[in-house]
Amino acid sequence: MLHITASSGSGPLRDDACSYAAALDDWLATRPAALEAASRPIAAYDQRVAVTSALMGVLYDEGWARYGWPEQLGGFGGDIVHRAVMWDALARHGLPAMALYEHLEVLLPTLVALGNPTFMAEALPRFLRGEQVWSQGFSEPEAGSDLASARTRAVERDGGGYAITGRKIWTSWARYARWCLVLARTGTTESRHRGLSAFIVDLQDPGVEVRAIEQANGTDELAEVTFDEVLVGPERLVGEIGGGWRVAMHILAHERGTFGWFRHNFLTREVLDNLSLGRPAGDTLLGNALLDLAAVRASSFGGVRAHAADTVLGPRAAFVKLMLAASEQAVNDWVLASDPDLAVGVQDDHVAVNRQDYLFSRIVTVYGGSQQMQLDTIAKQILRLP
Amino acid sequence: MTSVVESPDREFLEAAGAALRGTGPGEDPLEALGWWDLLAEFDDRDARGAALALFRAQGRELADTAALGALIAQPYLAAAGAEPGTLVAVIVRRSARGERLLAVGDVAGRTLLVDRPGQGASVIAAEKTELVPVTVPGRLTLHEVRVDDAALTPAIAEAEAAAVRARAVYLGRIGASLEILGAAEGTLALAVSYAASREQFGRPIGTFQAVRHLLAWAQTDSVALESVVTTAVALDAVALDAAAPQRHDEVVKALAGRNGRRICERAMQVFGGIGFTAEHDHHHFHSRVLALDALLGTSAELTHTLGAWWRESRADPSASVRALLAETGS
Repeated sequence: MLHITASSGSGPLRDDACSYAAALDDWLATRPAALEAASRPIAAYDQRVAVTSALMGVLYDEGWARYGWPEQLGGFGGDIVHRAVMWDALARHGLPAMALYEHLEVLLPTLVALGNPTFMAEALPRFLRGEQVWSQGFSEPEAGSDLASARTRAVERDGGGYAITGRKIWTSWARYARWCLVLARTGTTESRHRGLSAFIVDLQDPGVEVRAIEQANGTDELAEVTFDEVLVGPERLVGEIGGGWRVAMHILAHERGTFGWFRHNFLTREVLDNLSLGRPAGDTLLGNALLDLAAVRASSFGGVRAHAADTVLGPRAAFVKLMLAASEQAVNDWVLASDPDLAVGVQDDHVAVNRQDYLFSRIVTVYGGSQQMQLDTIAKQILRLP
Repeated sequence: MTSVVESPDREFLEAAGAALRGTGPGEDPLEALGWWDLLAEFDDRDARGAALALFRAQGRELADTAALGALIAQPYLAAAGAEPGTLVAVIVRRSARGERLLAVGDVAGRTLLVDRPGQGASVIAAEKTELVPVTVPGRLTLHEVRVDDAALTPAIAEAEAAAVRARAVYLGRIGASLEILGAAEGTLALAVSYAASREQFGRPIGTFQAVRHLLAWAQTDSVALESVVTTAVALDAVALDAAAPQRHDEVVKALAGRNGRRICERAMQVFGGIGFTAEHDHHHFHSRVLALDALLGTSAELTHTLGAWWRESRADPSASVRALLAETGS
């Protein structure tokens, strides 16, 4: 096949995202077994992670998942547009969620830009193959929306490296992850955001404890992670000492501007997978969901395009974040109306997944920067209100 | 300032705004702008984009022209053997009170196009009809067109009319949506500046989080609408089979009506009582949005119909990623 001519270096479709889209579409239409397995509704989260990781392995081996990442880190070249195409195509061909591979789009662009190249040249292919997954340790019990008040400390050790001690919470997929990007304080508490630095922590190292948080929707992909004098080498510093806030803002600005593209495709998938349950009484709800999805699609493609052109979306990313949350709630308002079984009992995997997704949609206005923080950002930085 | 999608027609938007503001009484701002000539060059994507950008400017400036009917008439020009600038379509509205023909803007001296599905399209000089003024705020000239069917001159046979009808409605919906966007932006800009200057409890009301969030939501709705309608205009320019997704004009128009009304409502809440007076400009913008929402399919009916269509067809209504890529030249 055309796309597997390179085992390293540039892929033949690096400069032509349209041809990449067409070729990928053809390949997915052959219904590879890994896609079939990952497309069924699966209530058990561990199992969902397993089939999605298996699919990632196949996508890597076939070359598709290597596009959009730099050649020097094991990718085939190209940019975020290739990745935008890939996840769009996977959703359209039946994959119901990115699951923990959301972090490919949340964390990796920043790690590729600011992380140690030697370290990332090993870590990126392992993530892409589904072997070693990443998590993000930002929030703390006393630092939610007010991220700059984080207390986890990194103390420089004689002879180099740092010792990290503290507690992170709401750490998505930490239970499955090998690596965690941790925001820790290297300055004084009073230094606020200026005293933070970002480190890559191996969650298998001594001193790390990961405790799953069972969620209200029945899944447990969130976790609380404690660090007790966990040692990290200097090569695991991302950016500079005191540059942690810049790393965090790079991630959040990127995530808010482009994440809508990746996630909304799976919301469309959720609708398509439930259309057979739809009833006329829900048609207006469904129509509203369609409008909201169209808004996310149009605006987040602008975010993807801006990212590909190295343009900083800045505070405007807050718009996409708000639209995405609105669309996720609109879709699930309709799912609830179409499948009331989700509220009164769990009969099978389809109903169970609908229940998980519906309940999760009620918290999307909280994670990744609460809705109220997004509105504050717009009021202050865009509308320039006093 | 806040667009997610940068419009290539921004320059024309500014020029159109200036022309609409600067035209004296008795002059046709569309003439001054060269807008009628654009209708003759509709195969050119830039000309089409510029012609459509007028509507956003028209909403912002609350300008009153016959452009919407002329835009809808554009696809019929060749079949009717008419020159751009002469033909203006009436908009057929149906409600529980029956069918009405509406002319938007000053149509004196123009030829009116009446297209009735199943019967083909007819024309009649505006002077030969009874134009009954419909009084609505919004600084918009509206007439109900009363015409004796016997006085209509058949101009385009049904088969030919049917071939361009969907395109005409498509253009009308995109134009109306852009004008809704412009009008909503107009009152939102007033509300933001009011919040910065109006003081209560010794400080500007724009310092209160409740007020700030109302305006931030309105801005989000405005950016959402801008993204969707400008993407539709861009997709329309792509020479690719089925570039625009199915029923895209309905999606755009439904979103425009819904978001446009929400923006106006939030702005009005920020204005407080003054926003509910005839003296304040808000109601003109608000009424303009309401009037345009009521033409070519209301937001309520389109939203419901789109939901029913999606449920029954099980189609994927998204713009394809390849069309989006082609549109941006990636």
